[in-house]
Amino acid sequence: MSEKPPAPIVRLRDITKSYGMGAAKTQVLRGVSFDVEPGEFVALVGQSGSGKSTLLNIIGGLDQPDAGEVEVLGTDTLRATDAERAGIRNHSIGFVFQAFNLLDHLTVLGNVILPAAFSRDAKDPQARGHEALRRVGLADFASRRPGELSGGQKQRVAIARALFNAPSLLLCDEPTGNLDSETGKEVIDFFRELNAKDGVTLLIVTHERRVSSVAKRVIAMRDGMLVETTDEELAAAHGGGPA
Amino acid sequence: MMPARNLVRMVVANTLRSRRHFILSAFGIVIGIATFVVFLASTEQVGTVLEKIFPVEQVQVIAPRASLLGKDISKKLDDSIVEKIRSRPEVDRADPTAVVPRMTLAFPAFGRGDFEGNDLKFEVGGFADGINPDYVTDDDRTRQLFKDWDGMKDDPKRVACVPPPKDPNEEVIQSPPAHRKVERAGVYYNPCPQPDRYYCDEVDSQCHHRVPIVMSPTMIELYNGQFAKSHGLPIADTDFVKFVTQRGGLSAMRFSIGLGLTTIAGTNSNISQHKVRRVEAVLVGISTKAMPIGMTMPIQYIQRWNREFLGEDAATAYSSIIVRLKDRNQIAVFSQWLQDELDLRLEDSLGEKFATALFVIRLVLVLISLVIITISSINIAHNFFMQVTERRRELGLLRAVGAGQLDVLLVVLGEAALIGLIGGVLGLVLGVGLASGVDWGSAHYLPRFPYKPDSWFHFKWWIVLGGLACSTGFSVLGGYLPARRASTMEPAQALTQN
Repeated sequence: MSEKPPAPIVRLRDITKSYGMGAAKTQVLRGVSFDVEPGEFVALVGQSGSGKSTLLNIIGGLDQPDAGEVEVLGTDTLRATDAERAGIRNHSIGFVFQAFNLLDHLTVLGNVILPAAFSRDAKDPQARGHEALRRVGLADFASRRPGELSGGQKQRVAIARALFNAPSLLLCDEPTGNLDSETGKEVIDFFRELNAKDGVTLLIVTHERRVSSVAKRVIAMRDGMLVETTDEELAAAHGGGPA
Repeated sequence: MMPARNLVRMVVANTLRSRRHFILSAFGIVIGIATFVVFLASTEQVGTVLEKIFPVEQVQVIAPRASLLGKDISKKLDDSIVEKIRSRPEVDRADPTAVVPRMTLAFPAFGRGDFEGNDLKFEVGGFADGINPDYVTDDDRTRQLFKDWDGMKDDPKRVACVPPPKDPNEEVIQSPPAHRKVERAGVYYNPCPQPDRYYCDEVDSQCHHRVPIVMSPTMIELYNGQFAKSHGLPIADTDFVKFVTQRGGLSAMRFSIGLGLTTIAGTNSNISQHKVRRVEAVLVGISTKAMPIGMTMPIQYIQRWNREFLGEDAATAYSSIIVRLKDRNQIAVFSQWLQDELDLRLEDSLGEKFATALFVIRLVLVLISLVIITISSINIAHNFFMQVTERRRELGLLRAVGAGQLDVLLVVLGEAALIGLIGGVLGLVLGVGLASGVDWGSAHYLPRFPYKPDSWFHFKWWIVLGGLACSTGFSVLGGYLPARRASTMEPAQALTQN
C-alpha cells in the first residue's frame, strides 16, 4: 500500500492581481500557479516588478489576489476570515523583510516577542524570546534598542521574531538586500541550517544568485508569470546580481 | 482577538511614548471637560440653593380671590377639598405628608422678644401660619418640640401659677425671665417648671408650653445677611442646635405674641379689645416646610386662635394646600382637574420659573462645553489620522505578526479612550481647581448675602462620572474613523511605506 503524499504547504492556482484603475491599471500577477511542499527551500527570483513580493504577500495573507485559489497550511486563505488569517500569520508563518521592520520604541526582546501580544496561548514569551535570540546569536542584546544595532544584527532580530512561534513556513522578502556580503552570507547559512535541521519550509524572494543557489528549488517570474528556470534566465532574473 | 491584558499594555505603552501626540490630542479634552464639570457643578449648586428658597417639588393649591358687593365669596379650602385632592391618582395616598393644608393667622398679632440685649418688635399677623406637626420632620429635636402642647391636657407640667402683671404702657410685655438665685425685688420671674419651655398663661393661670415655632431657611438667611450685620448680632449657624446652645439654650429663643394687637392702624377694628391676650412662643428649629417669610406653628394653635378671634369659618378655612405630586410631569393634568372640578388653581411658583430659567442656563452652558468637547474630538480625529499615517509601517507589522483588523481597531480606539480618560481626569482636576479658586475668591471678597453658599459648586458623583464618560466617549468617537482606516489598510502596502 502506497503512502499518501503530504499536502503542499502552499498551493496557488491561477492567481491574478492588479493595482490601480482604468488606464493606470497595472497587471502584477497573471495566473500564477505552483505548490510548495513541506520542508522545501524555494527561491522566488525575477526582475523588479515581476510580482515576486506581491506573490509572497498573498501567500502570507498580507495582500489579497483579484482571483485564483490560495491554500496555506491547508486553509483556503481567501475564504478564511480576517481573524483566521491573522491566526495563521501569528502561529504558523514567519516574515523576514528587507527593511527589518523593527519597532524602535521596543527593546530587542520586545520586538522578538511581539507576536505573543496577539496570541491567546503564548506560554512564557520572555523565555522563548531569549531562546530565539540565542539561536540567532544575540542572547546578550535583549535589552538593547534596535537603533543600537548594526544592519546584520537587526536582520537577525527580525529572524528571531519570525522564529518566535516556531512557524512551519518562513516567508522572506529580500532578506539580504540591505546587508553587506559577509553578513548576507551568515543569514543565508542560517536559513540553510534552519531548513536542513528544523525542516522549516522557506520561501525566499531574492535578487541574489548566492541565495537562490542554496535553494532546493528556484521559481523564476517575469511580468507576473512563472517562467522556465534556465541558467540564462536565472541570470537575467537575478538582474546580474551578486553571484 | 488579542487578550485584553496585552491590549491594555500595548495601548498604555503606545500612548505614553508620544508626548507630543498626547498633549495635542488631550489639550482640548482637558479644557472641554473642565468647563463641562464646572458649568454642571455650578448650575447644580445654584439649583440646590434655589430649591432651598423655592421648594419646587411641591405645588400650592389656592382659591382664587372673589368678592361680591364687598363680601368675600372665594371658594373655601376645607377638609372636603383636602380629601378630594388626596384621592387624586397624581397624589401618593400612602404618603401622609403628600397633601398638607396650611392656615394663616387671620387676625392681627404682634410679637416682642429680647435677643442678645435687643428689644425686637415685629408684626405676626399675616406672617404666621400653621401646618400639621407631622409634616415637620427635619430633625428629631424639632419633631419632639414641634407639637400641639396646648392640646395635651395631661401635660404634668400644666400646674397653677401666677401670671405676670400687665403693663398698661406696653403693647405686649417681654417674656419674663426665669427664677434666679438672687432675685431683685419687684421683678416678676417665670414660676413654671422648666422655664426655658413653659410660661404662665394669663387666661387660665396655668403653666403652658410655649407655642413652638419653626422658621424657614430663608428667614435665617435674611437674618444673617441683613439683620444680624446691621444690629451687630451673631450669625446663625447652619447647625441651629449649636447656634441655640451658644446663645444659652431655648430660653434665648423665646418671645411674646400679643394676639389681637398690632401697630398698623385700622387693621384690627373688628377685634374685640377684651379678647386681646398674650401668649409666649419659642423658636425650636429651622424647617424647609415653614412659610418662607414669617413663622410657622402647629396648625391646631392657629385653628383655636382663629376660632377664638374670628369664629368657626376662619377656623376651618385653609389658606392653601401644599401638594406633593408623584411626578412633576403630571402637574398639567392636576392643574386642569383643579380648575375644572374644584374651581381652584395652583399658586404661580417662583421656584418653577427659576427652575425653568436655570434649566435653560444649564442647557446653554452644557451646550457650550459640548461644543468645546466636540471641537476637541475633531482635533483628536485629526491627530489620530496623522498618527495612523505616521505609523502605517508599525501597524502593517502588527498585522504581519498576527494582529487582525479588530486588534488594530481596538489598539487605536484604546489609545483614543486612554487619552480621553486621562484628559478627563486632568479636566476634572482643572475644573475642581478653578472651582476652589472661585470659592476662595467668593469667601474672601464677596460680602455675605442671603443664601450665599459656602461653595458655588457641587461636584456630584454623576457630574464626575459624566465628565469622564464624556471625555472618553468623545475621544473614542474622534478616534473611530482613524482607527477604521488603520484597521482596514492593506498590511502589504503599509509595510512598504518609507
